[in-house]
Amino acid sequence: MTPREALASPWLTVRVQIALGLFFVAAALPKLVDPPSFAHMIYNYRLVPGALVNLMALVMPWLELLAGLALVLGIWTRPSAGLVGALLLVFLAAISLNLARGNAIDCGCFNVAVANRTVDERLADMRLDVLRDLGMALLVGQIFWAKARGGAPAPAA
Amino acid sequence: MNLRRHLLEATTLVLLAIVCALVANALASRERKLALIGNYPDALKVPGAEPTPAASLASEGGATASSKSPFEEKRPGSHEKSAPKATAPAQASEARNFSSSPADLLKRFPPHNKPYVEISGDAAAWLVARGALVLDARRTRDYEQGHIAGARSFPVWEGDIDARVTALVGEGRDSAIPVVLYCSGGDCEDSHMLAQKLYGAGFNNLLVYRDGWPDWVRRGGMSATGPES
Repeated sequence: MTPREALASPWLTVRVQIALGLFFVAAALPKLVDPPSFAHMIYNYRLVPGALVNLMALVMPWLELLAGLALVLGIWTRPSAGLVGALLLVFLAAISLNLARGNAIDCGCFNVAVANRTVDERLADMRLDVLRDLGMALLVGQIFWAKARGGAPAPAA
Repeated sequence: MNLRRHLLEATTLVLLAIVCALVANALASRERKLALIGNYPDALKVPGAEPTPAASLASEGGATASSKSPFEEKRPGSHEKSAPKATAPAQASEARNFSSSPADLLKRFPPHNKPYVEISGDAAAWLVARGALVLDARRTRDYEQGHIAGARSFPVWEGDIDARVTALVGEGRDSAIPVVLYCSGGDCEDSHMLAQKLYGAGFNNLLVYRDGWPDWVRRGGMSATGPES
């Protein structure tokens, strides 16, 4: 088996789907438990009009949960991976823009509690968040690449 | 054809997420509920003085919401530092009675006709000791864990904040009388945002206690726990 074949193998793709799906389910849960705190996090990004903050805070966690569950269960994997990829692009753009303008914020990715941290600590975490999201975007890329090569895995569940 | 099917599936997921979000929000408790359309004024934006319903009461405030409060310059130095300390309930309630008339509050903190002016802990303590209205902008759970004695809960990030503001307006308070607002100090902007909402509702003497709850605890100011009575 060549490295290309190994990267597109159903064995790997199933595991990538499950890992990515679990990431998104884990990210959704704290936001579902406390929507007002997530709304606060979205507001802090200073990118979304105030009128849309609450709608985003309510819908985005459910989108993360449903897309994540679909990936884990192997249902509608292509559209789910597409939605996850789109969300990752939004997250990457939002964090990068705030990094570029020096607005130190809590990511709100896996935890929506306000943490009392210094500006430097927040900026350092934001850089790590960008790297983590890029890594997850690579996982999305693997899923699409494997599917394009015809290595569609059987449903995991 | 596959693309069309995938788009349909993706749309279904999005619609399902929207339905789940709306149902979950409808069933959520008061503290977890959000208004569907958010109303979040820029917390730190300080527009120029604009006439408000209470503008006629405004003095030459000229106040700015910069980090340095003009009131700090006006305050008579030493006696202001007598921050109220934690006291027995009887003493506390006595301290909460007006020891000076609203006119005294107004004399020292005249309406400034700005969304807010930041005040120090000393000034906040002076106002609290004289029974000024105090609003806590933090989340309900934080309020219940501890708040300035007598403060009312106005959590700006919870769904019923606009109803609370409307109810406060409905109490018919004189909008020129000072109102103290606070949150968690540091980079917390919740009290500033609450001030923007109240300013929009006609209040024009809003004083943000910039160091907020952590400073109040450090000072040993009178505090209380539990839900709003």
